Amino acid sequence: MSEKNETLVTPQEEVKDSRLGFLKKISSGVFASLLLPAVLKTKQIQAAEQDGVEISLPEQKDDEDVILRMMREIQRALAKPVEERHWAMVIDLRKCVGCRACTVSCIAENKLPPGVVYRPVMEEEIGTYPNVTRTYLPRPCLHCSKPPCTPVCPVRATYKRKDGIVVIDYEKCIGCRYCVTACPYGARSFDFGEFYTNNTPQIESYEMQADFEYGREWKRDGKKSPVNNARKCHFCLHRIEKGLLPQCVVTCIGRATYFGDVNDKESIISELIGRPNVMRLKEELGTEPNCYYLV
Amino acid sequence: MKKLFWSALIVLSSIGVIAIIWRLSVGMKITALSSTVSWGMWVAFYIYFIGLSAGSFLFSTLIYVFGIHKLEKAGKMALISALFALLGGMLFVWMDLGHPWRFWRILTNWNYRSVLAWETLFYVFYITVVGLEIYHLMKFDFYNLAQKCSGWKKSIYNFLTLGFRVPDDPQQLEAMQHKTMKTVKLLGIIGIPIAIGVHGGTGALFAVVAAKPYWFGPIFPIIFIVSALVSGAALSTFLYAFFGEKDDKDYLDIVKALANYLVLFIGIDVLLMFSEFSVNLYAGLPDHSRVLHQILFGSYSYIFWVGQLFLGIILPIILIALKKNDPKWLGAAGLSAVIGIIAVRLNLVIPAYILPALKGLDKAYQDPRWSYFYFPSIGEWITTVGAIAIIITGFAVAWRFLPIFDHSNVTGLVGAGSTGGVEHGKR
Repeated sequence: MSEKNETLVTPQEEVKDSRLGFLKKISSGVFASLLLPAVLKTKQIQAAEQDGVEISLPEQKDDEDVILRMMREIQRALAKPVEERHWAMVIDLRKCVGCRACTVSCIAENKLPPGVVYRPVMEEEIGTYPNVTRTYLPRPCLHCSKPPCTPVCPVRATYKRKDGIVVIDYEKCIGCRYCVTACPYGARSFDFGEFYTNNTPQIESYEMQADFEYGREWKRDGKKSPVNNARKCHFCLHRIEKGLLPQCVVTCIGRATYFGDVNDKESIISELIGRPNVMRLKEELGTEPNCYYLV
Repeated sequence: MKKLFWSALIVLSSIGVIAIIWRLSVGMKITALSSTVSWGMWVAFYIYFIGLSAGSFLFSTLIYVFGIHKLEKAGKMALISALFALLGGMLFVWMDLGHPWRFWRILTNWNYRSVLAWETLFYVFYITVVGLEIYHLMKFDFYNLAQKCSGWKKSIYNFLTLGFRVPDDPQQLEAMQHKTMKTVKLLGIIGIPIAIGVHGGTGALFAVVAAKPYWFGPIFPIIFIVSALVSGAALSTFLYAFFGEKDDKDYLDIVKALANYLVLFIGIDVLLMFSEFSVNLYAGLPDHSRVLHQILFGSYSYIFWVGQLFLGIILPIILIALKKNDPKWLGAAGLSAVIGIIAVRLNLVIPAYILPALKGLDKAYQDPRWSYFYFPSIGEWITTVGAIAIIITGFAVAWRFLPIFDHSNVTGLVGAGSTGGVEHGKR
């Protein structure tokens, strides 16, 4: 913008300007998270197991987008040893509009086949017309502190990591589906090896693309894992370890999903968990979920 | 008739073999299961066969441990049934694994916190105990048969003796037979907690799942054990009535005694079932009572009314009450209960899945693999029928070639082990 314009800012233009600034901020955050996987893929080969890859974020500002703040917090957490991190998620149900961008982006990120869904959004209508509201409840894996799904596994293929994430070792899983049954939140799915383009002239190539869960390449090939395995949300562990937010957090259009390290008392997630309107699902089961809801 | 029976078995089991190979090469895709209804008909038949096995085995301990002489002639039959039923259960649960060739990892990567892992360990112990018990009960017969036969039969029987030789000296023989019965009794005693573990544990597999209120609770493993006893007694009644030693002087007495045990176990089973249904329906907690409502009045209610109630309970009791002295009808009562228990098993597994884990979860995502409706696919039906045929074929072959009703050696020595006195061992 020229100097002349700057001196002649009308109120309307100011609004426009701040809007533009807002969009810029968002786009920088979204862009960073969208472009980085491509950049990192080449890096991944060199430093496959290296945690906390430095991602250059724009200079910190007081009114910056919450996505950027959370990315800074992830970087801070990654600087610590893994056992000192404690990942958790907060979903603000008042902000959720039920767009399912999280559901879809998760399917895209993890190349989920039919019948496998990590983050469905439940819908409930309350009241009768004209006094009626509709609520939406996204449900990722809640990564319980006392998960009922891990002890039942006969082969120790699913377990809780030191940073709180409940993972499945696809190579060990025998596909008995006991964990699927044992989850009180229905957060586990079974991969039957289906394709969306089944019964069409050909299985489209985009369905055959490998996914990169747990930081390694899983090709969709016949009955090989993860086909015939239990599958679940892993907070996009492969992204977190590269300093990125889970895909559902990035794509949430209402910024309703927050993610971070609970052990970091400065983090936004710690702030939100201390709110009076926080709740967790099925507390009576004693599972102590690490996914909180603001109602 | 016999030819028809064998050819039907052979055709069905060949279909079974092909179907299982197909299942293994295609994967779990052939089932109608989904991410929400994760266990279906195969698991129901898995617990069905485990129940038959544990029931038959516990039944045999009435003879070899608790010394009920009356039933002794049905003892070996019960043990052989236990062995093959267990193999049937294993076949079904193995088929149900997403990665069947990784099954051995349950033993190498054992998880002490998993009921399923404990169960697998129990199955290993159990099959060992049952196998040893059968061996000890039959080793004399195997040896004698090996002497009588020739060719491949001789070598098979010789192999089955595992190097055991019957001594020529009659006194030595008698001492050895008593010793054997002591061993059998000891194995039976060891076997009781294992068999209870095998089936109570299979019940616990479900009972510990707090996520499924229908299963969750301490009564579930007990129901499993009692219904196992029902199915064990029913199978023995049916088998002995139709294929037992009809010329034996004790034949009718044995069938009647078996049928009486069947009625007793059905009675306990009804008591438990009534408690389960009445308490939960009265309390009316939706997670539990809605499942029971579905069982009683839902689209699959015929499984309860026709299978569980009529075939499993009412018909056997009526037959046994009215046709006390007709072994054919008593056997039919046994068969009716054996089939009725299939309905019990189906109703133990599948209804737990009809309620979504969270309100609205059933509508949150649309896909056949996310469905709360389950009806077995054609693939599941074919593999199920085929696998059952394979098990029956194996059992029929064993029945044909093993000395199940050879009472020349150790029969009559039950209870002798406890006193150790030779004089108790009447012939």
